[in-house]
Amino acid sequence: MNLDLNDTQELLQQTVRDFLERELPFDRIRELERDGAWDQPLWKEVCRQGWLGLPFREEFGGAAGGLVDSGVLLEEFARRAAIVPALEALISGRVMQSRATAELASEWIPLILSGECVPVPALLEANDRFGDVKAQVREGRLRGEKSFVDYGQCATHHLVAARDAGELGLFLVDARTDRVECETLRNIGRTPQCSVVYSDAPVQRVSGEDGYLELVALGRSLSAVQCVGHMQQALDMTVEYAGVREQFGKRIGSFQAVRHHCANMFMRVSSARLLAFEALSGLDAGRLDPRQIAAAKAAASRAVPEVTMLAHQIHGGNGVIEENDLYFFTLRGKERSLAWGTAEECLAELAESVDARCEWL
Amino acid sequence: MDFEWAPEYTDFRDELRGFIQQWRTPELIAEYAATHGGQGPRIREFHEAIAERGWMRMCWAKEVGGEGRNMLYQFIFVEEMEYWGMPYGNLTFTSIAPSIATFGTEQQKRHYLPGIYRGEFVFAIGYSEPNAGTDLAALRTRAERDGDEWVINGQKIWTSLADVSTHIWLAVRTDPDAPRHAGISIIVVPTDTPGVTIRPLYTMYGGHTNETFYDDVRVPVENVVGGVNAGWGVIMHALNHERVGLAATGGLARIYDQLLEYLREERPDRLADPVVRGRLAELELDLREHRMLALQNAWIISKGGTPIVEASMAKVSGTELRTRIANVAMDLLGRSGALSAESGDRAPFEGRAEFNFRLSPIFRFGGGTNEIQRDIIGFAGLGLPR
Repeated sequence: MNLDLNDTQELLQQTVRDFLERELPFDRIRELERDGAWDQPLWKEVCRQGWLGLPFREEFGGAAGGLVDSGVLLEEFARRAAIVPALEALISGRVMQSRATAELASEWIPLILSGECVPVPALLEANDRFGDVKAQVREGRLRGEKSFVDYGQCATHHLVAARDAGELGLFLVDARTDRVECETLRNIGRTPQCSVVYSDAPVQRVSGEDGYLELVALGRSLSAVQCVGHMQQALDMTVEYAGVREQFGKRIGSFQAVRHHCANMFMRVSSARLLAFEALSGLDAGRLDPRQIAAAKAAASRAVPEVTMLAHQIHGGNGVIEENDLYFFTLRGKERSLAWGTAEECLAELAESVDARCEWL
Repeated sequence: MDFEWAPEYTDFRDELRGFIQQWRTPELIAEYAATHGGQGPRIREFHEAIAERGWMRMCWAKEVGGEGRNMLYQFIFVEEMEYWGMPYGNLTFTSIAPSIATFGTEQQKRHYLPGIYRGEFVFAIGYSEPNAGTDLAALRTRAERDGDEWVINGQKIWTSLADVSTHIWLAVRTDPDAPRHAGISIIVVPTDTPGVTIRPLYTMYGGHTNETFYDDVRVPVENVVGGVNAGWGVIMHALNHERVGLAATGGLARIYDQLLEYLREERPDRLADPVVRGRLAELELDLREHRMLALQNAWIISKGGTPIVEASMAKVSGTELRTRIANVAMDLLGRSGALSAESGDRAPFEGRAEFNFRLSPIFRFGGGTNEIQRDIIGFAGLGLPR
């Protein structure tokens, strides 16, 4: 039991935070959003610094750390609204590390960590339901459609959920051929996303259903951390604003109603963060507990609109203009709250198994 | 970061559960209910058994007779005791003992702490007065020095357990001329001291709390804890620890588990309803969130820190959750949710949901109102302006 970051994690947090504050002005994010682009120079730096490789084995060029380390990293990216496929590439690589053959893993993971290969998961189809997969692999070729593929048009490869002879599995597809066609989707978070049509695209098999389930677990836990990062930034901005904005001759943060809004925001962010890191810590300990992970994402997802809308309430008109940075976190937070399982979906999963004996204590 | 419990903790929890199963007899539970958290022969016997195993003082420093064990052991201890509804000393144990250990003189530590861990001493807390509630520093009960004694006059309210206590942990004004926070002291008053009058105030949750009156009550000068006029800091410290106890997850998890078990056994039709399951899932999530805040609080204490903001967060979250769980449980039970324990077997799980609905308001305003806790979170946690 240790609820603090260890020295390495603390150093990582500080380094990444300082780096992003220095190198990533919010106007740069506005530019990328306008162009529908992703931050390629930042991605190069992420790979060069070895941040992507934190939870990978040393033989692949990783740092042999854990997912908690990656959580620290992703929270910082979320606090700065960085537009990079960190979650997507990271979890794709992790599933290769744990589920793919040794040959495949040693071929691909070093390429991912160096940034030459950027793989992103492509699981959902137009029906937006996990597990409901219609895409088919036949004789090493993939046919089907995917939707809600984050960073799909920026990626070199897609890690696609498809059925081969009825069995669900993950397949690696080169996304740069004319057999893969991406159509951009514009979402509330203003991050790259697309739907994809695969027309007999050649694949390499990565894993069976076990890999699919692990991918969802990873995506869910880490997207919970992203929600937390967005919320934390909204809270920080709000506290700062309430400390300088004056009305009735007083700083508005000194009014109890405003103070209590802030306290409520702080509590929601705190418990959501602890649950998210509890889920990551569980994965690091080799436990894949779907109920714990669903709880972490449900908590983070349901807190996002509460926290960010309170932030807006306290910011007033200043919070809605695009010159102000608050909208990044409101919009990006809402988008992340839907990704990898909405609050409703995750609560429904808990509800499904609610009478399973729960070991609380 | 690592949320996994090491084997020494899980072993301790298993040991505790085995022990509790052995001691959790209907007679003990009945005695606990009848005395409303007070004392009785079976409770005393249970306390002795706990004391024998060293559990009451395992987390105290070695200098005061403890084992200096990590505070997470106490967190586990309180969780399990609360979960199974066992009498373990409650605020005397979670709030008064650590305050005496921190602020008491050597002689006070030697006198009070062994009595507490053996379960012989039960403290009632005398902070509030009719006109000093949330604004505690407005308290007027005064103690005047007369030779080597304090002479105490005044009135306290919500002095719960005073009638079954051995001591009252009394906040008094010792310097009427000082700024109001700087003229307060904590004095330990043996409950049987002449001049102490206890009047019960019956409550809507059954049992009673008390008003207590102090008419020329004389106690030795050495009964001051933490120094004359230095009581405010002692009170704040004790309240912080009180909040740790108020925030315990065990009792809440127990109501939830009993609700689930009842629905499974007696009303499978309701448990099959997706709406019911959805509401249960939300409660489970609330519990998981709250437990994290409670754990965070214990974690800070376990590394030797004093949680202030974390204690307030856990207090707010746990106390509001108690209301929510009791309320939702009653809703899901329907009309039988309103049946009290007096209805016998007709009341679902001994009417615990109904009882907790009646009980739950006190936790939200007690131990410092949740509004004050949110102020603390805002000031101390976020640095918001005054």
